[in-house]
Amino acid sequence: MPELLITIITIAVVVGAIPGVCNYLILLERKLSAWMQDRVGPNRVGPLGLLQPLADGVKLLLKEEVIPPHVDRILFLIAPGLSVFTALLAFAVVPFGPVGAEGAPSFLRFIIAPGIDIGLVFIFAVGSLAVYGVVLGGWASNNKYSALGALRASAQVVSYEIPLGMSVLGIALMSGTVNLEEIMQRQISGGFAAWNIWFQPLAALLFFTASLAEANRLPFDLAECEQELVGGWHTEYSALKWALFFLGEYTHMITISFLTSILFLGGWHLPGIAEPDSAYPLAWLVKLLVLMGKAFFFICVMIMLRWTIPRFRFDQLMELAWRVMIPLSLANLLMVMFVRHFELSNWWMLPGSGALFAAWGMISASLREAERRSRPGYVRRKKVDAHHDGHAAGHAAAH
Amino acid sequence: MNEWMQQHPASIGGLVLWAIGLLWLMPSGKSDKARPGLPGILLAAAGVVAFCLGAGRGVDTLQSEVMFWSFALTALVCGALMITSRNPVYGALWFALATLGTCGLFMLQSAPFLAAATVIVYAGAVIVTFLFVIMLAQQTGSAGYDRRGQFGIPAVLSSFVLLGVVVYELQSAPLQINRPETPKVAEVGGASGSRDGGTMTSPPALPSPDAPINPPPPPSVPALLSRATPETPVGSMKGLGRSLFGDYLFAVELAGTILLVASIGAIAIAPRREEGAL
Repeated sequence: MPELLITIITIAVVVGAIPGVCNYLILLERKLSAWMQDRVGPNRVGPLGLLQPLADGVKLLLKEEVIPPHVDRILFLIAPGLSVFTALLAFAVVPFGPVGAEGAPSFLRFIIAPGIDIGLVFIFAVGSLAVYGVVLGGWASNNKYSALGALRASAQVVSYEIPLGMSVLGIALMSGTVNLEEIMQRQISGGFAAWNIWFQPLAALLFFTASLAEANRLPFDLAECEQELVGGWHTEYSALKWALFFLGEYTHMITISFLTSILFLGGWHLPGIAEPDSAYPLAWLVKLLVLMGKAFFFICVMIMLRWTIPRFRFDQLMELAWRVMIPLSLANLLMVMFVRHFELSNWWMLPGSGALFAAWGMISASLREAERRSRPGYVRRKKVDAHHDGHAAGHAAAH
Repeated sequence: MNEWMQQHPASIGGLVLWAIGLLWLMPSGKSDKARPGLPGILLAAAGVVAFCLGAGRGVDTLQSEVMFWSFALTALVCGALMITSRNPVYGALWFALATLGTCGLFMLQSAPFLAAATVIVYAGAVIVTFLFVIMLAQQTGSAGYDRRGQFGIPAVLSSFVLLGVVVYELQSAPLQINRPETPKVAEVGGASGSRDGGTMTSPPALPSPDAPINPPPPPSVPALLSRATPETPVGSMKGLGRSLFGDYLFAVELAGTILLVASIGAIAIAPRREEGAL
């Protein structure tokens, strides 16, 4: 039974650690946001505000639980739980440390369910269930704002699942497996030059973007945008149920960051420091920290993106998924197939990705121009534009 | 057929009871009040139990028995709740749960990829789209026509006739499938059980609990799916892919073409912006 015991310990550690980590991620988000906006951020509770998450947690626990009388009680109560459940379940196949590293204590396995043959597909399957939390929460609230948020969320998640899945198919083809541990192992044994980011930079971009959309993070948070929908699908939620939704969102962020590091950035490999044959004492700890560091980097990127890119309009959101990301990920997959079939060097994919990106940029720009030209009001529009341009040019010339 | 019916009175009776129970539970057309559910539940449950006992299946290890029955019951009960539920949203949710139960069964048959793909397609996309439409359609509570089962009797009749025929085929027809010569590759691991593994050439055989349970087969692609080469591991993506794009390439391409034509058709008949859509 030691195997079972190890599994139980790992589950307990992960389930115990993730809420704490999420709590501190919220602090990180507030601090980073503050620094980006030239503020100080929370600094009252404890040194440097480090106890703020604890205070927040206690507040959320002790707050009054409000259940409005007009809601569908069962679904209203299930929805936040579902949202956390699916987010945590996806983490089950994500290796969060050097799996099978020498020297690590045997009770540290760094993955809840090792050797899952369909690792990536499992994550997508569970991830596709994550939308239920949002949809049910929005519907059960029996509130127009919530329902609109839920509608947006379901359309968005269903659309972005496609590029999310297709962008990593290239990696599955290159590695010949969808088992996350094996994908990581392949990059590690190949060294720095075998990191997938060198061959699949476009896929990395598509994957990261699509998973931001799946997690409802800011450039894609139309489901809860405050300016239009009050709070979106969680308008009616309060106290701990509201917190559970955010626990789900932050868990999703952690999973995405780990996945991006594992799929594209070589897992725990770092040239010169964490190599497969590095044998100094506590090497496993360094490897663990390297992987965590990469994940932390992506989390920081996500938080900073929040204050960098403004929110999309809904038609832009759909257009990005269907007209840009899906064709691009298909083309990327075709490129991998081409390279594999003719047994070319993998390095062809690096310029290939760049060329695809540039070509698609030009195609969509010209398509947009053509579409604008075909609009009935084009002439009038053009006149207005010309006027503006002329005005601007004159203005510039005057300076 | 007659012979089979005489041999399996419990199965037939169970099916009939089950059908009547479901019919009773379905939301009825006339009144807005629901019938008392208990008789229907009892009938359907008795029918399911009789059917399962009558159909019989090989006995497995305790663990897989427990797993099988919990997944199977989840799928069956949620399926029944789906068609008897008076609220369309709940109906869609029960459908999702029934799908998850079925995926659990796939998992038990060591077809994890099939399970994951079903979750992605059905629970993740199709039912979410249903929910989407239902939520759009019912902004103000459910309408009367939403609470009513349409065509209850024909639906129940046809589906149970279909179920009966499928069970009959599975139990009585010898499986005529191209198999490799090695006999042990053909076994599917014994969890679904109404087939009697290893006796493919024998006349219609009743599966009985004391039928010889083959030693756990070496990993292999499920026999129904492929002429497997013995070294492709069971249910792995590699095996499934080899089967789909090797043995069944034509069928896969045909299905793909039909889907492509259907989606082109959908785009063609959808109203365009000039015609007043969005």
